Amino acid sequence: MKFFNLLKKELKEMLTIQTIATLIIIVAVLSLAGSALTDVIEDAVEEGSKITICDEDNTEFTQSLIKTLETVGGTENEVTKVTLESKDYAKELKRLDITNVVVFPKGFTEQVQKGEQANIEYVGSMTSLSTMSNVGFDSETATEIIKNAIEAQLYSEKIAAGKMTEAEVMQMDSPILVDETTVVADKSAKISSEILFSLCKMQGTFVPIIVFLLIMYSSQMLLNAVSTEKIDKTLETLLSAPVSRMSVLSAKMLSAAIVAAVMAVAFMFGMNNMTNSFTMGADASQFNEVLEELGLSLSAAQYLLVGLQMFASVLIGLSLSLVLGALAKDIKSAQALVMPILFTAMIPYILSIIIDIKTLSPVFKYIVYAIPFTHTFMASENVMFGNMSLYWGGFVYQIVILAISMTFAIKVFTSDKIFTMTLSFGEKGKKRKYKKA
Amino acid sequence: MENVLEVKGLSKQYKKGVYASKNVTFDIKKGEIFALIGPNGAGKTTTIRMISTLLKATEGDAVVMGHSILTEPGKVRENITYLPDEAGAYKTMTGKKYLQFMASIYANDSAAAAEYVKTASEICGLGDRLDDKIGSYSRGMTRKLLLARAIMSKPALAILDEPTSGLDIINALDIRRMIKELASQGMSFLLSSHNMLEIEYVSDRVGIIAKGHLLETGTPSELLEKHGAANLEEVFERVVKNSEIL
Ligand SMILES: Nc1ncnc2c1ncn2[C@@H]1O[C@H](COP(=O)(O)OP(=O)(O)OP(=O)(O)O)[C@@H](O)[C@H]1O
Ligand SMILES: [Mg+2]
Repeated sequence: MKFFNLLKKELKEMLTIQTIATLIIIVAVLSLAGSALTDVIEDAVEEGSKITICDEDNTEFTQSLIKTLETVGGTENEVTKVTLESKDYAKELKRLDITNVVVFPKGFTEQVQKGEQANIEYVGSMTSLSTMSNVGFDSETATEIIKNAIEAQLYSEKIAAGKMTEAEVMQMDSPILVDETTVVADKSAKISSEILFSLCKMQGTFVPIIVFLLIMYSSQMLLNAVSTEKIDKTLETLLSAPVSRMSVLSAKMLSAAIVAAVMAVAFMFGMNNMTNSFTMGADASQFNEVLEELGLSLSAAQYLLVGLQMFASVLIGLSLSLVLGALAKDIKSAQALVMPILFTAMIPYILSIIIDIKTLSPVFKYIVYAIPFTHTFMASENVMFGNMSLYWGGFVYQIVILAISMTFAIKVFTSDKIFTMTLSFGEKGKKRKYKKA
Repeated sequence: MENVLEVKGLSKQYKKGVYASKNVTFDIKKGEIFALIGPNGAGKTTTIRMISTLLKATEGDAVVMGHSILTEPGKVRENITYLPDEAGAYKTMTGKKYLQFMASIYANDSAAAAEYVKTASEICGLGDRLDDKIGSYSRGMTRKLLLARAIMSKPALAILDEPTSGLDIINALDIRRMIKELASQGMSFLLSSHNMLEIEYVSDRVGIIAKGHLLETGTPSELLEKHGAANLEEVFERVVKNSEIL
């Protein structure tokens, strides 16, 4: 009985409004991410049945092959024929507004007829490092579908003719050889998008983690500093001393920013070492060149751009923490106050890893874009894939938000709001009150 | 004699229509110890925080050494120190570091800062414990450290909210003696307290405050005489009871 009462008390203390709010928000975020994901997967499936072909061989065989493609694999495929005007694939994909194309090169039919493995080219583009963005009509699907189509063709021809030679049976096993080119922004290289993706996965996964940790750590640090000063009343002592409030405020902000910057540099350094040892190892040096060629390994200037947005996010987090820390009434509420920052950072963090935020439905996309941290989570991707207008747009937006939140923080600190404004979670944790003087 | 502090009709509303402090007027002369006494929630801390330039007054003004809290808060802060009620200190600092840090903020040069630290180290009576982290101090030790901090720079006006709360009798006595000693050297004090006996002993003048109104001011003996009371506690009880009519 005594134990039961103890347990009841502990549960009551732990299951506060904050804990419950956290749960509700996590469920909401995950459900939202789920529905966004469903959209993306549906799009991917739809894309997957769209085949774009450039028939440079243009023979009876290829023409009937294309006809077969429309129904092969048990699905209705939407086959579009295009003409590539040059070998500059990046430019051609952009001109035709397509994301991939299968090319039957001149001599393709001849190779098939000779019973050789026939070459085809697959050109795909990579636009994001997120997991889901690389699901869809890729070279593997293309190969599979075309293989099936060729088999169907050959079967009908050869079997009609009576018999198959041994070489022809071999040919049936793997009738084509895919030459894969991947386009990144305005550059292209002969490499499969899958290899490319796994090479870049490090960056795609680790940059968001670093950004998230950096925002959370620095915000938590400043929030704790401000709220303990307020709770211990050392803030009252300081602000009644012969120093200006602005210098107290800027000293706090600056020291947190310096610590965050040191952390950012340390993280970047560690990550760079890690990816280096990863790409240096084995026979990966050839890939390194390709990565550089495609602009997928960040140059110093690009690191700087990513760092700039990282810093902007950290500063936004810090200015929010200043205000939130001032709201704290006791240690417990101070811990709860980091929630708004936690969630606004968590939403783009999770989304950026799973999906390409650019491809979300407009409403959802702009909601996510409205979170200033989002742009930092997308920064390295935007820089890599050359979406510079998105980068700069995000940066300007971050500066605007930073200016607003800083102005607000300064207002709170230089007026007596810092002492009169409290956000308390009610005596019994039942209701929220906003007390403003 | 010159007034170190002149409070003129000071009022504060936290919420519209509710006065936490209403039209409070009093003054403190050089070398005088003035105490605000009143029940919980009377408005003592509110009044003190306005004079310390932490809260903006809704109405009225206070002038410290000729500087208005409204127009020259910076100048006011150069002439006061403030010890908040139930204050703590930076727990990860040692007592010595804390004194050095605060001295660096109040002093204009390092010589003065060193002098402040020396004074405070003597006053607080913490001895070797000054080299320990503040987090390891008892409540009374922290209070003594903070008190020493508040008087080390010998400001024109030291504002102490419940200065001896949390201290045992011996330490409280020490502090009272020290306040009297410093006052005799020309420092002025604004105190607040619940402890009537202490106030009777230490203050030159007291102001009785209830529900935000400063009801009476006078020397302890004046008040005892006026109300025909044996001690300040009785005076306090009668004044506050009468004020219920307000
Ligand atoms: N930040 C605030 N917001 C709203 N009301 C406040 C705030 N601080 C104080 N009050 C109210 O103002 C009134 C006066 O409070 P104050 O702290 O000045 O009393 P006090 O005389 O110092 O009491 P105590 O002896 O308990 O310290 C009280 O009714 C209190 O509830
Ligand atoms: Mg008080």
